Amino acid sequence: RAPDLSSVNKVSSVFEDVEFCVMTGTAKCSKSELESRIAECGGSVVQNPGPDTYCVIVGAENVRVKNIIASNKYDVVRAEWLLQCFQTKMLVPWQPAFMIHMSPDTKEHFAREYDCYGDSYTADTDVAQLKEVFSRMKDNKLMPLDMIAELEERYSWNSCQLSIFRGNTIYVDCYAVVNEPRTKIHGTTLSIRALELRFYGAKVVSHLEEGVSHVVIGEDQSRVKEMKTLRRTFGRKFKIVSELWVTQSVEEGVPQNENQYLI
Amino acid sequence: MEKTLNRIRLVSDPEETYYLQVSWEKDLGTGFGIILSDGQCAWTGKVSEAEISREAADMEMNREKYVEELKKALITGEESAGKYNFAISGDEENTDCCFSYERNLKDGSFRLGSLKLQKVLSPAEVMKELIGCCLDRLQRLQAKKEHLQKENARLFSDCRDVEKRLEKCVQAKEELEADLYNRFVLVLNEKKAKIRNLQKLLNEAKEPAADA
Repeated sequence: RAPDLSSVNKVSSVFEDVEFCVMTGTAKCSKSELESRIAECGGSVVQNPGPDTYCVIVGAENVRVKNIIASNKYDVVRAEWLLQCFQTKMLVPWQPAFMIHMSPDTKEHFAREYDCYGDSYTADTDVAQLKEVFSRMKDNKLMPLDMIAELEERYSWNSCQLSIFRGNTIYVDCYAVVNEPRTKIHGTTLSIRALELRFYGAKVVSHLEEGVSHVVIGEDQSRVKEMKTLRRTFGRKFKIVSELWVTQSVEEGVPQNENQYLI
Repeated sequence: MEKTLNRIRLVSDPEETYYLQVSWEKDLGTGFGIILSDGQCAWTGKVSEAEISREAADMEMNREKYVEELKKALITGEESAGKYNFAISGDEENTDCCFSYERNLKDGSFRLGSLKLQKVLSPAEVMKELIGCCLDRLQRLQAKKEHLQKENARLFSDCRDVEKRLEKCVQAKEELEADLYNRFVLVLNEKKAKIRNLQKLLNEAKEPAADA
């Protein structure tokens, strides 16, 4: 049912001759409130979008909104955009963040200006904008550690203090029986070392197998002999170092030469 | 007042165990008292600060060093066993006697000091006091042990708790990093795709020009 907007006092003509269809309001601003404010700005309001409708305004998404989106005929815009227009008394340009759905025409226009995540091809970004772009990305896969290592290498970020151990695969000698994660010895400083290694970028593994670059040993050296025997069967030899290598590398902020810590 | 009670053996009677209590105020160097007992009889004696100084001087030894030696001989107990010789001379059965202590060296020994001991008339009282002292100390040690055990358990559980929290932080950091890098790469690749596309358009624009 259309509201009676005949008695509204016009305060500006920002929306002169622009037709809106408001589907739903927001928690702070109801649908009828939005409609009357459109009218105050010289715009007109319809209850169902038609050929002359500029765009559909949505506060909260519901089934009707979904149907409109499915029809792929209208631009569906967040109510926040409208509120910004009211606030600035200007026709704020659409940005990807405002768009719930775009008609094919609008989509094409946006595709020239923005990538599919809403980041501009030409305008510089800043922390807030990038945060906003990132927050709208639905694809939240986690990048595997070796890819991170590659990326950091390519952009020379590998000198970062948080990446001291990046690219290393490390077995920490905190299991009473080698390669038996169930025999983990709790409450030793080695479990802290393992966390430190991870924090500073290492891949910490619970199995001593081909591909391991370092083995970190604590006070208890009773398993070193067994590890050295195992090492002889490996193609790529790992280094056996004392946990001091970890603590001193962290203290200095750069990886220390392993040869001083060999066991 | 501080006290220690040790078991010693006399050179003259290696089979018999004697009990030696040493008591002093603040520091052994300011003088000390001795109670010696074989479980049936007891003797007491005192060494004054002046006597300690004199003995050190007689031996031409630094006073502090001498006091250190005394501590090792009379207080440390178990670990000094064998390193020091103790002897009683005189009529120990009935009257006063002389108690002496010496340091054992590879070749012979040298005398650290000696004092006159008086026989106690009521040795039972002395024994009671010695046992009382032992029980008091046992109680103190028991209380201390319980306190330390509790403290240790608390530290252990705090440590475990902190480790768990650290683990959470590390995991959160790893995930945040992996997630941000993932998003970063997606946006970066979009830019690269655009650059590729523009390069393609540029080449297409050049070709007709070259043809012409």
